[in-house]
Amino acid sequence: MKMGYEKRKSMYGYGFIALWFVGALVFFLIPLVQSFLYSFQDIRPDTGGMVGGWVGLEKYNYALNVDPNYRQYLVSVLQTTLWKTPLILVFSLFVAVILNQKFKGRTFARAVFFLPVIIATGPVFNIINGNMASTGNSDASQFSTMFSTDLLGELMEFLGIYGISDGVQQTIETISENIFGIVWNAGIQILMFLAALQNIPASAKEAAQIEGATAWEYFWKITLPNVSSMILACFIFTIIDSFTDPNNSVMGRIGDLQMDWKYGEASAMAWIYFAIVLLAVGIVTVIVNKFVYYEVD
Amino acid sequence: MEKVLTTPVSAPKSDEEVGNGMTKREARKIRMRNMNKQEIAYMRRSRLFGIVWPIFRFFILFGLCFVIVYPLIYMISCAFRAPEDMSDPTVMWIPRTLTLEVIQETMEVMNFWSTLGTTVFLNVGCSLVQVASCAVAGYGFARFKFKGRGLLFGIVVLMILVPTQVISIPQYMLFRYFGPFNLINTPLCMYLPAAMGVGIRSGLMIFIFRQFFKGLPKELEDAAYLDGCGPFKTFIKVMIPNAKSSFLTVFLFSVVWYWNDYYVSSTFFTKNQTVALMLKNLSTLLSQTLFNNADVSPREQIVWMEAGCLLAIAPILIMYVFLQKHFTEGIERSGLVG
Repeated sequence: MKMGYEKRKSMYGYGFIALWFVGALVFFLIPLVQSFLYSFQDIRPDTGGMVGGWVGLEKYNYALNVDPNYRQYLVSVLQTTLWKTPLILVFSLFVAVILNQKFKGRTFARAVFFLPVIIATGPVFNIINGNMASTGNSDASQFSTMFSTDLLGELMEFLGIYGISDGVQQTIETISENIFGIVWNAGIQILMFLAALQNIPASAKEAAQIEGATAWEYFWKITLPNVSSMILACFIFTIIDSFTDPNNSVMGRIGDLQMDWKYGEASAMAWIYFAIVLLAVGIVTVIVNKFVYYEVD
Repeated sequence: MEKVLTTPVSAPKSDEEVGNGMTKREARKIRMRNMNKQEIAYMRRSRLFGIVWPIFRFFILFGLCFVIVYPLIYMISCAFRAPEDMSDPTVMWIPRTLTLEVIQETMEVMNFWSTLGTTVFLNVGCSLVQVASCAVAGYGFARFKFKGRGLLFGIVVLMILVPTQVISIPQYMLFRYFGPFNLINTPLCMYLPAAMGVGIRSGLMIFIFRQFFKGLPKELEDAAYLDGCGPFKTFIKVMIPNAKSSFLTVFLFSVVWYWNDYYVSSTFFTKNQTVALMLKNLSTLLSQTLFNNADVSPREQIVWMEAGCLLAIAPILIMYVFLQKHFTEGIERSGLVG
């Protein structure tokens, strides 16, 4: 039997992904469809599998209108993601730019900044966060307890922005109170931005220097366009990371319902949630893609 | 004029000199003389920036590093103190009584060594097979054209997007009634998906590998093909050695994600078998076994909780210290850049 070169190559392609495809079918696609079907059923476990009768959209109605917490949790998770994502992005880009510069102790600083990647994803994060909060040691107050002053208030007074407007002050306070969460959730993003920064051609930097660009101009004209494609990737990663975090309240609620054997309700909630995640990612992709600069090769 | 040109420039004798016996300061003066106003302003600005920025940078980095390291210091400080020290207002960082007792008690409660054994067995094994299967799939997507490739890669993206919680129940049922077997509580329900490239965050890993292999020059394989290598042999003999650092980075990620996972393992394991699960349920375990359901103030409980945290992260922390260089430098070559 003889096959053309192209045809043979494409057969090899199937060969390479065959194992993954079978796995994805069995462990991913079929469960995905099943869970979608569960959400329309009054489902309960029985020997040999799940049994249930069709109830149509009743479970969705339950999730949105009957469940006392779900809608509230949903809104709060959406809100948190909405304001945290841009902050994490700006922060991680800023840190990546700094870590990309040459200075003494850079290796150490890098090692420290990637530490959260190792620790933050697990239950450890919850415990240390909770413990420190309960002893008044978390977030901005950790500095205060160390130096026994209201450092943030003094800083704002020093800058002359204390009490300019309640809105501004509140925003600053929220940010500073959450700095712990932001720093600890930015590890992977910093890593990604750093990789993008290192791909900026040296010639661009040289040209900018000869033309006399300030660091500020350099950032807007060279750095930002070059990392813009990574901004999209980081955006999506941050959103997904925040949505799929097993610690957030919606995920917690779904988990609780599963514990109570209410699989239909749990599936309906999970699917509503998933639809929102998809929508959010879609919107972000469309918006950010307009600003992304792709180098033409 | 000619005389100046023919005079050889003498090499600088010290750091202060730039040549021809001029100090740096003098040389700059001469250069400045030929500049116009704008250029001088630019020079001044950049010099000022060069002085102020490193100081500013130091403070920013120091502050942020502090935020990150702080919990670790707190953890260590708590883990080695006696519970009474928690209520002692004079104790902030350095415990009044240094003790290993809390650590030992926590280790007993967590059944540490055997738990660690199971975790390492699960963790390292799963990571290894996962990296291998994801690399193979990623290579297939990166280098071969076949019908439906776009659609199939859509499944990979879907794997990144779908929260595990959505599919955890059907997966549980799948393993509970896996043909005639009940695989719940066996390592197989972690190993099987990992080996087939559908483990924890496998989608992301396939994605990373695809980006990476796409970035490697095509000539590498063409040479191998001409020499009569089949695609599989080429992959093993040519591509893998070239992708070493990428493999290491992804492997480290994989180890970390498996180590920290408790959602998936709590779905498939009804008993606490991994370190992450133990830690998740530590407060319940503590009150059941150590305190005998007696009331211990939440403030004092922190000591045991922090000790548990320290025990749980110690193994990967040690690994990180040794492989840190590959982790932070290797990522740049790992293909995260498209």
